[in-house]
Amino acid sequence: MDDVVRAALRAALTSGIAYADVRVLAPQRFEALAVRNGEASALTATSGAGVGVRVRTERAWGFGTVADPSAAGARTAARLAVRAAHAAEPTCRRPIAVVPSRGPENGRYETRLRRNPFDVDRAEKLGLLRDAEKALHVGPEVKSGHASMQAWEQVTRFGSSEGVGFTSRIVHVGAGVDATAAAHGEVQRRSGPNSFGGDYGQAGYEFIEALALGERAPTVGQQAVALLDAPSCPSSAATTVVLATDQLALQVHESVGHATELDRILASEAGFAGTSFLAPADRGSLRYGSEGMTIVADATEPNGLGTFGWDDEGCPAVRTTLVDRGRLVGFLTNRETSAALGVPTSGATARAGGFDRAPLIRMTNVDLQPGDRSFEELLEGVREGVYFETNRSWSIDDKRLNFQFGTEVGRTIVRGELGPLVRNPIYAGMTPQFWGSMDAVGDASTWHLWGIPNCGKGQPIQAARVGHGAPAARFRNVRVWGG
Amino acid sequence: MPARPIDLAAVATRVLDRLPSGVEGDVRVRSEGWTTMRFANGHIHQPHVEESRSVSLRVAKDHRLATATTTDTSPAGLGRVVREAVALASIAPVDARVGPFPVDGRPRPVRYSRATASLAPEAVGRIAAGALEAAGADVEGQRVSGAVHAGSQTIAIANTSGRSVSGIRTASQASILVERPADEPPVSGWAEGSHWDAAKLDAARLGREARDRMPRTAPKAAKPGRYRVLLGGAAVQELVGFLAHLGFSGHGEEEGWSCLKGKRGTRLFPEELRLTDDGRSPLGLPAAFDEEGTPKRRLALIDHGVVGPAVTDLVTAGHLGARLTGHALPPESPYGEWGPVPTSLILTADHGASPEELAKILGNGLIVTRFHYVRIVHPARGVITGMTRDGTYRVRHGEVVEPVRNLRFTQSIPETLRHAEAWGRERGRYSDERGVQSVTCPALVCGRFQFTSATLF
Repeated sequence: MDDVVRAALRAALTSGIAYADVRVLAPQRFEALAVRNGEASALTATSGAGVGVRVRTERAWGFGTVADPSAAGARTAARLAVRAAHAAEPTCRRPIAVVPSRGPENGRYETRLRRNPFDVDRAEKLGLLRDAEKALHVGPEVKSGHASMQAWEQVTRFGSSEGVGFTSRIVHVGAGVDATAAAHGEVQRRSGPNSFGGDYGQAGYEFIEALALGERAPTVGQQAVALLDAPSCPSSAATTVVLATDQLALQVHESVGHATELDRILASEAGFAGTSFLAPADRGSLRYGSEGMTIVADATEPNGLGTFGWDDEGCPAVRTTLVDRGRLVGFLTNRETSAALGVPTSGATARAGGFDRAPLIRMTNVDLQPGDRSFEELLEGVREGVYFETNRSWSIDDKRLNFQFGTEVGRTIVRGELGPLVRNPIYAGMTPQFWGSMDAVGDASTWHLWGIPNCGKGQPIQAARVGHGAPAARFRNVRVWGG
Repeated sequence: MPARPIDLAAVATRVLDRLPSGVEGDVRVRSEGWTTMRFANGHIHQPHVEESRSVSLRVAKDHRLATATTTDTSPAGLGRVVREAVALASIAPVDARVGPFPVDGRPRPVRYSRATASLAPEAVGRIAAGALEAAGADVEGQRVSGAVHAGSQTIAIANTSGRSVSGIRTASQASILVERPADEPPVSGWAEGSHWDAAKLDAARLGREARDRMPRTAPKAAKPGRYRVLLGGAAVQELVGFLAHLGFSGHGEEEGWSCLKGKRGTRLFPEELRLTDDGRSPLGLPAAFDEEGTPKRRLALIDHGVVGPAVTDLVTAGHLGARLTGHALPPESPYGEWGPVPTSLILTADHGASPEELAKILGNGLIVTRFHYVRIVHPARGVITGMTRDGTYRVRHGEVVEPVRNLRFTQSIPETLRHAEAWGRERGRYSDERGVQSVTCPALVCGRFQFTSATLF
């Protein structure tokens, strides 16, 4: 345990403080490069460092943070945390119980990477973006082309008053392209390999190279243009839909990931993000979906944005099954909610959006396991339906039941074959019914681990980078229309 | 909680002094102190106290722009941020349309609260405790959640054209949810508000309002479809906030996805309706200048129903050949990609009505307290979707007859305002937790509003 962590712990462990943990993040780096229409749109290098201290009295938590990673800054953060806890305490009536962290005394975790993205020559990176952006402009209808890449590096030193300590260095990268086409009053946008700025992973620059943005870009531009004259998605109150892996990843995120967060279920998030349709007693009994639905939260998965050695409470990364063949069997938990649930160990999903945010229950890599159908076999069973690819719009109610998603492109499916593009496709449903209607799940050839960089939660708001593995899959009796 | 004081303007000057010859730039030096007392299940469960400091430097070298930021304000840290920004700019693509860093205009001071800027965590805790008590946190079967936020941001902005401005803005915000979770379906009441002076936030009043707004009877199912609606202030602010981005961003104008592109100068909305962006107004959360230091001025976005101009920052003004309106976001912000956005919105209308009169004007329809999880469906059409939440009611012949279960809407914002028939006399003040965007607006009756599905509660 280093001097800064020790200084914070010493300052925190004052009268009435039963526990403290300290995260020193130095550095916390971010680089964003983007090219729009041949011009630079955002070239940004951010370097921050600071300390976040969390304390617990018998009944109250407190969190304090200062953007100063020195011992003096750490002591200030600790004092703020103590004041926060004492300010909260008069409203708190029940003792706080937690399960053991089972963390190491001196652990080390480091992202495995071949090319450190911060060491790659920026001219090389910008060259890649320039070429990809240029390739988006397949015709005069493309009014705006955009290519971007991001890299994050976070070096964390963690220590707790229970003697747990570790150092981790995590690197995330991502990149993507998008084209906005406009003609005769219509505007359409197409992205690749995904919306939200592309695809992301815990890796080095080799991940960005493998995305092959330059090869992907002409198709993205062509589809943006083609969508301008594509017919609107046909309407149906109950048809068959096939979701591409990228859209199904977001479906998992919204209707399973958030719904199984135990802090939401226990109403800790009720005033902001909402609660869940699930209850603690549903574990082991609730039918979430069809037999083909098995979902795990896996913080040990290689290359995931939700992969780490220990979470921000010092608990070792684990793989937890949330839904087993359609039945709810687990939740996303931290030390406190595990104790509330009566289970002996934490699900290790406490993650903080930076040194200046307290850890909350966040998704790690929440994956739908692949099934046994090829993509062609998913289509084979469809007489008439719609294929949805790449999320454009997403919304779900505050118990994670009623959802509505739109995608950038759709295709009609007629007698087992993909038809032409349709634009503004939307589908909607209710979570358990929708997952219950999944009658075929794509095999490993349709499965991909996506990175989603912008999951918002908490007050003050914090963004988490999370992973979602998903295959393509088929759902029956789904309402669809063109927006 | 006040951040430890440093001379921000001096730091800004030190940064600019380090720029090499031939490099222009603007710099933002911020010092912030914020406290959040977040509560759930009747007690404060996530108290957060934060002190932060940052430097954001944007440089331009031969029309090549780049930004670097740091939290390290030591001489070595400032040296590193300059070297980083200059190195990035040296390889940036040329953006020849961006003009020089602006210098014109001197911002006048705006209202802020010294007491809010120095509010201790213990004081914010007492405000939250008062809200909890007023909302009935101790009442059996009742669950109270929410948050109280308070703090300040002090910022100094300088550029190589000679601009040097500094100022402080303060914000406080509270939101309170009261539920009876065991009811089938559960019922809830909601209240929220913002003020630049925490002493005038009155979180206890918001707690009582949330408690009193909770329905006494179980919500009934309502069929999706087209309804007349009375949107409460919290719902209207969501629409106005999205319209600021979808309709008035200079970036949307440039890229063609603005839902008001091609409609500027035309009367699209009722003549009584005015939407202004006024960073100086104490009706909102005042800020004297934008993130480029351009003074805030009153700008008519909708003037007696006529659509006004898109807003700009240095880059979009250059690209559009338009004048600078003073709506720059931080250049390092992820939202910087969305371009400039109006952030001090005030919706006003002539001949405002009382709540009772609004219900009479509504006649038959639904009252919506607020929306949840609103997202863009089709930007160029201004279509968004979201859920109703925490109090939706059926009105027949001007009388509230029953609460209804929540519905999903999918609706164009311009169409909603186009069919506005009446608006409240009173206006609420709403903002995000740190007052970056504020909306001051009344309730509003809209003649056509499309609900596309329903949920179970």
